[in-house]
Amino acid sequence: MNRWKRLAPVTAVVASAAMVLTGCGGSDEKAADDSKLTVWMMGEGGDAQNKFLDGVETEFKQKHPDTDVVVQYIPWLEAPKKFQAALAGGEGPDITELGNTETQGWAAQEALADVSGRMGGWADSKDILPDLVKNAQLDGKQYGVPWYAGVRAIYYRTDWFAEAGVKPPTTWEELVSVAKTVQAKKPGTYGIALPGNSELPFYSFLWGAGGEIATNEGGTWKSGYTTPEAQKAVKFWTDLVTVHKVAPPAAAGWNEIDARTQFATGKAAMAFAGSWQQGAIKKDNPEIEKVWGTFPIPGPDGKAAPGFAGGSDVAVWKDSERQDLAWDYLTVLLNKKNSQTFASSLGFFPVYQDLVAGGTYANDKVMASFATTMQNTKLTPLTPKWVEVSRNKTVTQAMNSSVMKGQKTVEKATADAAAEMEGILNSK
Amino acid sequence: MSLLTEAPEASAARENPARRRRRVDRLPYLLLLPALVIIGVLLLWPLGQVVTMSFYRLNSVRQLRGDREWPWVGLGNYTQILSDPFFLTVLRNTVLFAVANVLLTMILGTLVGLLLNRLGRKMATFVASCVMLAWATPALTGTIVWKWIFDDTSGLVTWLFNALPDRLSTSLFGHSDWTGYGWFNSPLLFFSILTLVVVWHSFPFIAVSVLAGLKSVPSELHEAARVDGAGPWRAFWKITFPLLRPVFGILIVLSTIWDFKVFTQQFVLAGGTQDRPTFMLSIYSYAEAFSPPPKYGLGAAIAVILTLILLVVTGFYVRMVLRQEDES
Repeated sequence: MNRWKRLAPVTAVVASAAMVLTGCGGSDEKAADDSKLTVWMMGEGGDAQNKFLDGVETEFKQKHPDTDVVVQYIPWLEAPKKFQAALAGGEGPDITELGNTETQGWAAQEALADVSGRMGGWADSKDILPDLVKNAQLDGKQYGVPWYAGVRAIYYRTDWFAEAGVKPPTTWEELVSVAKTVQAKKPGTYGIALPGNSELPFYSFLWGAGGEIATNEGGTWKSGYTTPEAQKAVKFWTDLVTVHKVAPPAAAGWNEIDARTQFATGKAAMAFAGSWQQGAIKKDNPEIEKVWGTFPIPGPDGKAAPGFAGGSDVAVWKDSERQDLAWDYLTVLLNKKNSQTFASSLGFFPVYQDLVAGGTYANDKVMASFATTMQNTKLTPLTPKWVEVSRNKTVTQAMNSSVMKGQKTVEKATADAAAEMEGILNSK
Repeated sequence: MSLLTEAPEASAARENPARRRRRVDRLPYLLLLPALVIIGVLLLWPLGQVVTMSFYRLNSVRQLRGDREWPWVGLGNYTQILSDPFFLTVLRNTVLFAVANVLLTMILGTLVGLLLNRLGRKMATFVASCVMLAWATPALTGTIVWKWIFDDTSGLVTWLFNALPDRLSTSLFGHSDWTGYGWFNSPLLFFSILTLVVVWHSFPFIAVSVLAGLKSVPSELHEAARVDGAGPWRAFWKITFPLLRPVFGILIVLSTIWDFKVFTQQFVLAGGTQDRPTFMLSIYSYAEAFSPPPKYGLGAAIAVILTLILLVVTGFYVRMVLRQEDES
């Protein structure tokens, strides 16, 4: 008996430690109840978005009056961690927004439900831009539904261009000469804020030159980086820093946000950015709205270059016990009327072909250039291995940076990148 | 565990006053227990998990959660890492960086410690407080400030170099316009700045520890040395250093451990995990494990390799310190 008495403190400590350990894992085993639907949205939200989502909820409640929709905002940069935590057994959503470059990766991690069947039975889905639909697929199955989309273009200072007497360029040659002219006219600024450490703006130059990232040839991926077209694009992109010096050496390390900030703070005449970044640029400098314009990223010979269609998908969470409800919510959120309203409020485009075409954007001084490129979008390679190339080994970014930093020649850098990319894409 | 096995013996001890002291001796262990449990739960258990994980192919969160099985790969992760030529680059970066940083931290720290010992009370307090501010600054905050200082457009360093007379700058560096200069572009420059940040963060601890050691050296020894005509250099190596050798031993061990696993400063200065040529072991482990797509097994194996290297280094120094204690 004494023994137990003496053991009591030990037992207490161990037991309390055990309770601490299990406390966070105490999951409730109750059956799915339909009183609450959890929706994750990316970003910070805001009054406009709240109002829009309230409208969506009202519409959704006409069919499901007993279900409360709970919207939680997740900052973009926090999203991967939140997803991982939810997947590891924490509280997850029933339905979530996610960046469309991430959909395949999370599908490969078995985070998202296969909605191929549901998608087939939903009439509106037939009008969604096919490239965007494909981008949310993995091994032929649909894991997300495109919600809104956008492309990159070049923002420029209309006042500086006027001062230097130049017009928005339409070819690569003009792009260089315009950048040089404006930079000479405005000492202490850069002609182009070039995001040397980002891949998506570069792809417009690659595709514009007729190059490809990688193509699937009978089950084997072949990188297009060693072709003359791709090398021409890499040379042009890196020459802007090393030869023409319209962007500084530091640009080799800039991502899109760094580059955009240079433009917003009046340090650069041009910058690559998406239509949705208008808000962020204005936040850095509210005055800039008066003196900015946009033009499509030019191809080498006068045609606008294709762009990567960025944006968001909406996906049903695989662990959700309310997938039917979630899908009903999704079809309300993504119907044509709501899509148009919401995309416009964010500075994005709706994903429906019939809504993007038309003349809706022809007279908008900022959106018109983006609408042009929206007609001509391309995708990064459709394979779950791509995320390793893009996000882990950052093959393209490293290729361009190494040339800008003077560590490799264009030939060496493209050959190395192609070999690394093929190694990853074809690995078992 | 001794608690359980000794219990019957202890109950007998109750009637025996002479042995009562043994019961009291048990109290310290009991008091240590909560700490041990916490260390066990928060440190040893995860450590064991990491070692276990390094023997499996883990590429999905669902495996961590137990929804999917864990395919055993034995030493597969280790052979994959060790046969990758990139590992050699990473190891070389890590070792060179650690050696340079331990050396510089020790030298600067010791010099500041000696200075503090010579200064008057007020001045010493002032200098020590300034120095301790650097130590007290969290690694993340401090590094962000350093990153601003080296900002390519509006940073203080860029401004300073721009303020140099144009002719001087051109004759020294070949150009006079520093706006937009890529301070982090070349690995050598990157590591130099990283070294600056890490040494700035860690020398105050060395300085204060050395100062504490110096206070214990009887001042007569130094006076005698001075009377005998020994300069400061000689006095340091003949008197201060031998007396403080155990202190230096411990400080070198600690610095080596810290500098081998530098992560925060590198992550912030490099802006994430994109600058692969400057990878060191800890950021390499993090990037493999957590950059999409996750490879937890591979990341764990790198972490185990890092731990093993540190254990060897630490073991070597601990043995040295113990031997010194035996001798003295």
